[in-house]
Amino acid sequence: MAKSADCIHILQGLLVFGNVIIGMCGIALTAECIFFVSDPHGLYPLLEATENDDIYAAAWIGIFVGFALFALSILGIIGIIKSSRTLLLVYIILMLITYAFEMASCITAATHRDFLTPNLFLKQMLERYQKAEPDNNNDEGMTEGVTKTWDKLMLQKQCCGVHGPSDWQEYMSAFRLTHSDADYPWPRNCCVMDANASPLNLDGCKLGVQGYYHSNGCYDVISGPMNTHSWGVAWFGFAILCWTFCVLLGTMFYWSRIDY
Amino acid sequence: TMVLLLLLLLATAHGLDKLEYIPVLASSNLGGLTTTSTFVLQQPRCVFEGRASADIWLVVAIPDAIHDFNNSLGPGTPERAFQEFPTKAPAYMTLNTTILNYPCPKPPGEITVLRVGSETSCAKDKLRPTCNGPLPSPGPYRVKFLALEGSEPVAETRWSMPITLRTARQPSSIPETGNRHSAGMIALTTILSILFAILLAALLAMLVFGSSDACGGSSTFSKPEAVSVRRYNTHHVYDQPAARL
Repeated sequence: MAKSADCIHILQGLLVFGNVIIGMCGIALTAECIFFVSDPHGLYPLLEATENDDIYAAAWIGIFVGFALFALSILGIIGIIKSSRTLLLVYIILMLITYAFEMASCITAATHRDFLTPNLFLKQMLERYQKAEPDNNNDEGMTEGVTKTWDKLMLQKQCCGVHGPSDWQEYMSAFRLTHSDADYPWPRNCCVMDANASPLNLDGCKLGVQGYYHSNGCYDVISGPMNTHSWGVAWFGFAILCWTFCVLLGTMFYWSRIDY
Repeated sequence: TMVLLLLLLLATAHGLDKLEYIPVLASSNLGGLTTTSTFVLQQPRCVFEGRASADIWLVVAIPDAIHDFNNSLGPGTPERAFQEFPTKAPAYMTLNTTILNYPCPKPPGEITVLRVGSETSCAKDKLRPTCNGPLPSPGPYRVKFLALEGSEPVAETRWSMPITLRTARQPSSIPETGNRHSAGMIALTTILSILFAILLAALLAMLVFGSSDACGGSSTFSKPEAVSVRRYNTHHVYDQPAARL
């Protein structure tokens, strides 16, 4: 009896420790997802225009799951210390529901990250950047979002186009319909600007002289934060779920051993 | 002899100097070397020597027009007007300048180029037939430089190789091949699904078997409050007989 009492105490200790870790990870997940949802790089309009912004939905789910994990871990600790069958049963059921939601969030983030390819952004840029006549209000909102985001990107990150400025030459675009090729081989923001936000040398920019225009593409600048976002949600969630799996199995075993 | 000298003078005065220079596109590290309506040529430095009073013009022509090209048709004529190119005018002349703008030798480190097609303001202005307007189609085009003194052609370069401009494709032709699932995503989905399935099975097992005593066995433990401590009170038993005595 003494030996099994020791075993029980060890199991209790392990489960309490497991729940503490789950609680802390829940808070961390909430913080991380709030950070992603706040869109520090200002890339959300690009996602919104693809009508495929599910990695944001995954982050929103992550916020609430994080809170739920924290609350449930406290419930779990109380249940284990009191060895209460009802509390622990409630804990297990609610944890399984939270588990399912977090699983959905991880899989959504990982799956939708695979849709964000260079060609997707290229097509969107060509079709929407400075589009003169939007079809409806929704379209107008998306067009404005895309235009502003690209202008900001090209200015601040010193890049042009998705693969490079040649994107504007290789493909027809909404931009090309309103800006002639001779005056604007690529948008003005692709030019290196001076302190007054005007091109350093407009002729040099139009000719494509190194140092007067941005010759590299913006894809790295776009995909970097989006990758971090998706993988952060997906893989951190995966790690939490693996740990929670072990704790839940332990709790179920503990529950079945409690005697009334 | 005087007549001979006069004839000689006349001959040299009306002779067209055919120079060996072939116009080429500028160096290829320019991003805008050829666009869909412009292209960039190297300036003809150190080519036209000793013609201080000549105007050097750029002639842009469609390839069919170069075989019987008439140098005497001047820049202002309708057959050489940019606005009629390429339908009624098979060639046009533009970018005229004197040799002072092409000093020889070329200073190192300077970018000396001619951008053909950069003037958009006069492209439709019929009063500006020598406009350096944007080219209407991807080409190909062939160019040469022609030096005119007054209206007399005095020197010309060779015709360039055909220059073809870029053609822009439609964005709808961009393939969207974004549906390939990465290995990481497949692994994540599989592992999570398996773990969830195991948890549900364990929950089921726990509810079905955990409540009954069948599997309880000897390793169940009681709640702390249910454990009772049995105490032996030995003094009580011995005191009784002593009281009776």
